[in-house]
Amino acid sequence: MSRIDLLDASTAPLTVKAYFEGGDPGPIVAALANVPEMVGPTLGFVGPALGAGSVGVRWKEFAILRTSALQGCNYCVHAHTAVALDVGLTNLEVRGLRAEAPLEDAFPAVADRALLTWIDALAGATGPVPDDVWTAAREHHSEHRLVEVAITVGATMFLNRFATAFQLPSSDGTVARLAAEGLA
Amino acid sequence: MTATEQTVTGPIADAVNDGLLPGRVWLYSNYHCNLECSYCLTESSPRSERRQLTAELMVAVATEARQLGFTGLGVTGGEPFLLPWLPDAVLAMAEQLPVVLLTNATLFAGDRLERATRLAHPDIALQISLDSHLPDVNDMARGPDNFAKVVEAVPKLLAAGVRVRIATTTAGPLDGPLLQPLRDLVASLGVPADDHLVRPIVRRGRADERDLGVRAEARDIPSELTISADGAFWGSFGPTVRNGRLDTDLLLTRTILPLEVPANALLAALQGLPPGQDARLGIR
Repeated sequence: MSRIDLLDASTAPLTVKAYFEGGDPGPIVAALANVPEMVGPTLGFVGPALGAGSVGVRWKEFAILRTSALQGCNYCVHAHTAVALDVGLTNLEVRGLRAEAPLEDAFPAVADRALLTWIDALAGATGPVPDDVWTAAREHHSEHRLVEVAITVGATMFLNRFATAFQLPSSDGTVARLAAEGLA
Repeated sequence: MTATEQTVTGPIADAVNDGLLPGRVWLYSNYHCNLECSYCLTESSPRSERRQLTAELMVAVATEARQLGFTGLGVTGGEPFLLPWLPDAVLAMAEQLPVVLLTNATLFAGDRLERATRLAHPDIALQISLDSHLPDVNDMARGPDNFAKVVEAVPKLLAAGVRVRIATTTAGPLDGPLLQPLRDLVASLGVPADDHLVRPIVRRGRADERDLGVRAEARDIPSELTISADGAFWGSFGPTVRNGRLDTDLLLTRTILPLEVPANALLAALQGLPPGQDARLGIR
């Protein structure tokens, strides 16, 4: 149960009604609509930050799902478990990102693990990011890729705290699907 | 040259000058009221959440409204005269732009009458609600003794030099012979015909709960920028309350100042919507 009003097509402010015209835009937009002047700028940042970009959907979902798991955001973990499966991650990979299986088992490729170490250093810690993490990440990934992943991690952390603070609900359909996959 | 005569340029001023954007900015000073009218847009009553603006904010809105090129201000509630500081704030606002102040005029005794008569100012008008020439019909919608208090207050205010307008809100016709007795009454109180406004009940707030009034969407409502404690809205019929909850469908921004933010949002929304039926429905 959300802590705040989740606006719908009938209560959405006129300046953001377009987001509701195609049906339920989901609880994040429904919550953001309480401050209509923030909807466009927020989605203008979050959309590209979480989109495929130059990194590609697989590594983007590494960043999003791993960050959400580290931040303990149930809503985002549910939503992006479903997205991760949709873009082709395996059940084991998803469980690895959710810290429910060893990363070494789920991700044998060194480039994947270097990227996950980079993500963990950004999303699962405070203070400086160690040089060895940066160096290891750079051995397998370009600077611009690490910049884009850092943007994705930051946008995800914002959404994690937003969804957690307001107790945004997972949809019944997502919960049922994850239960069927053994990932509820 | 006075403050209100200075030439203002910019997109808001241009839109006002071109008639695209209405010139008046409304402020809901508060939502609580000594009355509990049947068609109230804001469900106001003595028990209502106050949703109160500060005097400082109201004057700041007035100042920025003039700087942007708006041409007038309106203050409504709730009952604004429940706020002891309200007359001083309105006098300060009138230094920026002409002000119309809505009131039920049922509190004008003793100190409150003295405070109201201080509003005898060329750029301030009090707009007082009176819905029928028949006391029982008027009081059925607005509360016991409302009629008597209004017809007693209006001549006192006029005698003190306060400009008074009368606003009639009705489920009946907006013009025609049925209104003549009311028009005669208003004239007998000393209020010119041009200062008597007749408008329909709009089906929002308590009126909607009670199945009263005309249905209206954004473009059916005059698009005057309206400020309340909850943000900035499309039109003075925007920040309504139903079953204790604020209606958000006509919310523009939560940001109030700088006023340019909601003013630009209103202008953008205006340019993106087709014309409405405000003229046909007579909503004003």
